[in-house]
Amino acid sequence: MKVRGIKPMQDVHVNVTPLIDIIMCLIIFFLLVGHIAKAASVKGIKIPAAKNGKDLRNKSNQLIINLVPPSGGYGDHAMPSILIWNNRIPESQLAAYLRKEAYPSKHKGSNPPIKVILRADRSIPYRFIAPVLISCAQAGIASIHFMTRRPG
Amino acid sequence: MAQSKKHKSRGMHTAHHVGPNMTPMVDVVMVILIFFMLGSSFVSPDWYLTNNTPAVKGGLSDVKTNAMPPTRINIKLRVRGTRTIAILPGLQTADLSGELATFLTNKQKALVKGVPVEVFISPSNGVPYKDVITTYSDCIQARFKRVAFRPPPA
Repeated sequence: MKVRGIKPMQDVHVNVTPLIDIIMCLIIFFLLVGHIAKAASVKGIKIPAAKNGKDLRNKSNQLIINLVPPSGGYGDHAMPSILIWNNRIPESQLAAYLRKEAYPSKHKGSNPPIKVILRADRSIPYRFIAPVLISCAQAGIASIHFMTRRPG
Repeated sequence: MAQSKKHKSRGMHTAHHVGPNMTPMVDVVMVILIFFMLGSSFVSPDWYLTNNTPAVKGGLSDVKTNAMPPTRINIKLRVRGTRTIAILPGLQTADLSGELATFLTNKQKALVKGVPVEVFISPSNGVPYKDVITTYSDCIQARFKRVAFRPPPA
């Protein structure tokens, strides 16, 4: 039996629509960042440890050169693969590729110089590292950042 | 029938929530968000050693060096069995587990202040990259500012 004068309970609830909007944006952000990070860095590389590294403060405009060791060891013709954005770059074309990447709008002069990061496996012999350093120098890149990890 | 109509018109309009129930969705989305946030925090931040590229003809780093030749310290890295050793000036040898760092620190202390010093790291063909990085890291620890890599011997 209904009693007159008492208002029926109204359905009061929190509006969750803005919350869902923000959370969805955050999830999309994390997914995109994860996807970009995955594309830039290649699996199968064991980074060497270094005691005296530093953080890169400005992480914009960077180019990661991945040196992946050959799966079957270093035979007569086996050499590490050079991968940039998952594209295999022959060693002979690396300097030209870097020059193109470093100065995409050479005449405009608006782009800051790129930061080249070398992400090489710790087991790769130096004879395969040196040509990459020389290619960077030939491309006019003044400094190179060796990606390492903290020891321990 | 007439009685029920009467009841409906007399009572207040109750706001019924019509639409999908968002609670499970919010729960799942929150779990995904927490997973991503924790996952990104577990990934250790990168750690970098920065070095100038070698001077080559035609490259931007092909600059004129000081008129006065600086003091040069040559560190040759050679593979002996499964490990790498450093051959220092005076044919002194040091392993990379601490002896090289000690040598470089002592060398830095012994040098006259203000005299430019260049350290050259000359690894042989087969020296693993990790040992090159360790040597370079030891040079930085000893506060040598100009450290360069030589190409491997042909």
